[in-house]
Amino acid sequence: MSDISATHVGSTGATGDKKALKLVEAAGPLLALIILMIIGSLMSSSFLGAENLSNVFTRSAIIGIIAIGATFVITADGLDLSVGSLSALVAGVAIMVMNKATGSFGTGWLLVAAGIVFSLLLGAAAGFFNGAMIVKGRVEAFIVTLGTMGVFRSVLTWLSDGGSISLDFSLRDAVRPIYYGSVGGIAVPILVLIAIAVTAEIVLRRTRFGRHVAAIGSNRHVALYSAIPVDRVRILTYVIQGLCVGIASVIYVPRLGAATPSTGLMWELEAIASVIIGGTALGGGFGRVWGTVVGVLILGFISNILNLTGFISPYLNGAVQGAIIVIAVLLQRDRSQG
Amino acid sequence: MFSKIRNLVAAGGLVLATMSGSALAADATIGISIPAADHGWTGGLVYHTKRTVEAMKKAFPNIDFVVVTSSSATQQVNDIEDLISRKINGLIVLPQESDPLTEPVKAAKAKGVFITVVDRGLAEKNIEDLYVGGDNPQYGTAAAEYFKKKFPDGAKIVVMRGIPTAIDNIRIEAFQNALKDSKIEVLDMQYANWNPDKGFEVMQDYLQRFPKIDGVWAGDDDAALGAIEAIKQADRKGVAVLGGSGMNKVIKLVKDGNDMVDADIFYPPTLIIPAIELVTMKFATQAPINGRYVLGSPLITKDNASEYYFPDAPY
Amino acid sequence: MVLLTLSEIAKSYGPVPVLKSINLEVEPGEVLALVGENGAGKSTLMRIIAGLAAPSSGAATFQQRKAPTTLVDAEQAGIIMVHQEFCLAPHLTVSENVFLGRELCKGPFTDRSKMERLAREILKQLGSSAAPRSKLRDLRVSDWQMIELAKAFARDPSIILMDEPTAVLSGAEAARLFDKVREFRAAGGSVIFTSHRLDEVKEIADRVAVLTDGQIVRLELASNLTEAQMAEAMVGRPLAEIYPHKVVATAASEAVSVEALTTPGFVTNASFSVKQGEILGVAGLVGSGRTELFEALCGLRPATCRKFSLNGRGRKLPNPREAWQLGLAYLTEDRKGKGLLLGKGLDVNLALTRGALNGSAWINKKSERESLIEAISGYDIRTGRVDVTAGALSGGNQQKVLIAKTLATNPGVIIFDEPTRGVDIGAKQQIYEIIARLAAQGKAIIVVSSEMQEVVGLAHRVVVMRKGETVGELVGDRVNESEIIKLAMGIQEEKSNVRYFGNARR
Repeated sequence: MSDISATHVGSTGATGDKKALKLVEAAGPLLALIILMIIGSLMSSSFLGAENLSNVFTRSAIIGIIAIGATFVITADGLDLSVGSLSALVAGVAIMVMNKATGSFGTGWLLVAAGIVFSLLLGAAAGFFNGAMIVKGRVEAFIVTLGTMGVFRSVLTWLSDGGSISLDFSLRDAVRPIYYGSVGGIAVPILVLIAIAVTAEIVLRRTRFGRHVAAIGSNRHVALYSAIPVDRVRILTYVIQGLCVGIASVIYVPRLGAATPSTGLMWELEAIASVIIGGTALGGGFGRVWGTVVGVLILGFISNILNLTGFISPYLNGAVQGAIIVIAVLLQRDRSQG
Repeated sequence: MFSKIRNLVAAGGLVLATMSGSALAADATIGISIPAADHGWTGGLVYHTKRTVEAMKKAFPNIDFVVVTSSSATQQVNDIEDLISRKINGLIVLPQESDPLTEPVKAAKAKGVFITVVDRGLAEKNIEDLYVGGDNPQYGTAAAEYFKKKFPDGAKIVVMRGIPTAIDNIRIEAFQNALKDSKIEVLDMQYANWNPDKGFEVMQDYLQRFPKIDGVWAGDDDAALGAIEAIKQADRKGVAVLGGSGMNKVIKLVKDGNDMVDADIFYPPTLIIPAIELVTMKFATQAPINGRYVLGSPLITKDNASEYYFPDAPY
Repeated sequence: MVLLTLSEIAKSYGPVPVLKSINLEVEPGEVLALVGENGAGKSTLMRIIAGLAAPSSGAATFQQRKAPTTLVDAEQAGIIMVHQEFCLAPHLTVSENVFLGRELCKGPFTDRSKMERLAREILKQLGSSAAPRSKLRDLRVSDWQMIELAKAFARDPSIILMDEPTAVLSGAEAARLFDKVREFRAAGGSVIFTSHRLDEVKEIADRVAVLTDGQIVRLELASNLTEAQMAEAMVGRPLAEIYPHKVVATAASEAVSVEALTTPGFVTNASFSVKQGEILGVAGLVGSGRTELFEALCGLRPATCRKFSLNGRGRKLPNPREAWQLGLAYLTEDRKGKGLLLGKGLDVNLALTRGALNGSAWINKKSERESLIEAISGYDIRTGRVDVTAGALSGGNQQKVLIAKTLATNPGVIIFDEPTRGVDIGAKQQIYEIIARLAAQGKAIIVVSSEMQEVVGLAHRVVVMRKGETVGELVGDRVNESEIIKLAMGIQEEKSNVRYFGNARR
């Protein structure tokens, strides 16, 4: 027979160097993060302090959780631009609900639990709406979520009359620990982020559902022809995104105790940028949750380093951020094979 | 099928929109073009505008008002052109930015429209018939004076700038000028964009970077709220926080006595109120009014705080 | 004066040798056919000649000079390649595609009318009715091939390289292509083409080069070789009968029955039935609606149907997922676009449908790998490594993976749509074995194919479609090519005035 195509299975040789290359590719974002941290520690003595690192991780947790939801959506070749506006809306409405509900739920953990449940439901419902319009209504994801992006924020602005929606002061103490508290020395938002990241990675890599998400993003026709319930899975990714936004809003509210029309501004771009930096292909088919977390940290550290050093003129902050994002993406190989 | 319904709804919406735009016959129409409510101050601006317009409409039913908000300078240019084509008699405009808005406003002036410019000026002088404004240089100077008075023997402070615009530049320049030859040292100035979330982040990082901070000028009250939370979390004591613009929440803190915030700078969005009232008077009662009305930006302290406190306003 | 010479051309990808010492001379005015199994090196050889790849060693000359080594140089020198995978822009018009990259200009503006005129001429010569102004995505696959060919001829080439040029063409279109090739040859042009259709090779080629394992094992006049001899040289062993022996289906129950299925625009009132253990052939010209009929049956297209019954039970037409759950499996003709995830591994592809159907929420990588190894040996899938992506396999092996994936769900009814398109003779035989074995196990098999020989060779019964309708059924003796043609073309009489060539495909 032909000896070009060796039939004996499991041969290495050529596989050896391919594997090494793949490892370097995959480590791209992590490499960028490490380089960034080295630069940070060189440029500022306060950078590697426990408090600073904790601050940045905690701040990044909010966008991080949203970005993990976005990883699912993008892996299935979808897009959700409305997440920032939805965060503002969920935060604002949750605050209003909690303010009104003190009568029935008191001012303790029961009220907080009610607020959390409400946020998750609202987030999931908004996600379902997006998903249904995109999948069943057959309108482009970009268009639908551009629209809901405007609608959500408008509604929030209308509800707040342009000002801020604030949590009653009596409730502040009850919700404070969600952002400012810590368990075993680690801030609560960080723990939540880790928990969600681990769960999401397992779902995306090891479950049937996760594989269906990647298959749909890789080639929707093939998925349909292979008995995958395409519509159902796609809508679910948007619901997951909405749930993540709900969780993120819950974590956000205690920070300032208020939601304003400028809450969540540009969060969608940061979330999507984190996903891409982390190695998930924008065209879908491959998702990397841990990469997304690394991406969020990279963005968080960039802004942190720029604040910690007076070195670069603050006018150029945006330019530095943009340049670093491009470099981080270049460190990965082209993922068009999906 | 679905797409047909979609198209029908869109067409219907369009018809409704154009219908609502037609003006009824009135003695005069006043067009108001202001920035959209994208942060606290502009939120207050829109609120007070609407409130005043309602009141004026009740008092003078023969005067018509058209209010448009825009989220960018380019959109505002389009808005003004639309207003001109609706044949307004008076235009009250708070320009997003001076330069791009100068030409359209000039064009309106050439058509005989009575021009009122609020707060931010145009690039050329003498276009407007009436100017109602805040005093941005005084804003910056008042902040500098506050820190000089509070720390007569010198101090280390940090500064947060606002959205990169002409106003921010004017205020910061005045602030820096007033601090020349003083013992106040400015450690750094980063952008917080008058945003509470950004204020929080920037303050956290300042606290990491500088072991000793005596005071922070957050640029305005939104950013100040963020800074306050960051200071609380870091459990740092003895940091004086100054914001600006007179947000009711912060004024309350000043009124009630607060160890971090003991002052504010008056620069509220209520300056639109006299502008609208004056222009309405002009058309309703034939009261000729021209000139410049500059409302001061004094420092608000515990002593005079109750004067400036509007608990029901959104800002 | 020799046009092209290759001396000791060799090519390796890493440590894997694909071509070993190729020596070849091509004269002007000659048509040379390259035949060989998938993986023998035909495409690689063509790519080297076209400047798309550089040889690892060896030398080549073109028109007495050193042969060009880049695509741009090769095209400038007059070496034009027509790909098996189309290099066309779907959103542009036909004439824009034909002149893509070399638009004709009048001053600073493109000379659209001239390009349209020339495009129309060339297409007419090729027998295509595609209008120069139509957008590509509105046309059929066979039109795309013709436009690729028009694009090549418009460049005024000295030598044209064609990779499986007739794979998607109807008989009439292929005939016209060959006329154009003869014209081209008479004018001094040369053609090198690869094909699995040995009858066509006999028809049009002057010489045949048989490639095995990266070497030319036979190089002679096409007239000196029979198809069987070519096939034997390709696989290096004597060929038994290509088609397995037909097992006569004993009294078996009906598996599928469809009455009056309609898919707007493609299929009108089509009806058919198939029993367990039976192989039903579905024949017809390209565009007669065969693929659309079965896609509709499996829920992949909107359709209405007067009656559909599966294993004796009447049902509504299922959605795609339900179809698989009912044991109704459709093996698409578009293995790259709708069959396999080219960027994913073989284990993922194999397990995709089965995984989507069974209840388990978790992926068991170990058992998937085991299934893959089983499938590789069970279906003789030729791959150097186990962890390749599906896109890295050759056409025939991809087809086998697709079959393995489909059969992994243990369906009762299997619809094979163009099961051996782009597959070499050795793999073809293996696939026929698989089909016969499935029928012997009692499964109901439907084979849709444009290769009439294949339909005749495999099927117990044949249903013929024309213009979206099922126009007739053939059993027993009447299962032969001429009966199929008559029904497929709607010819009533014995005689027809359409010219067919020799023994070849109609």
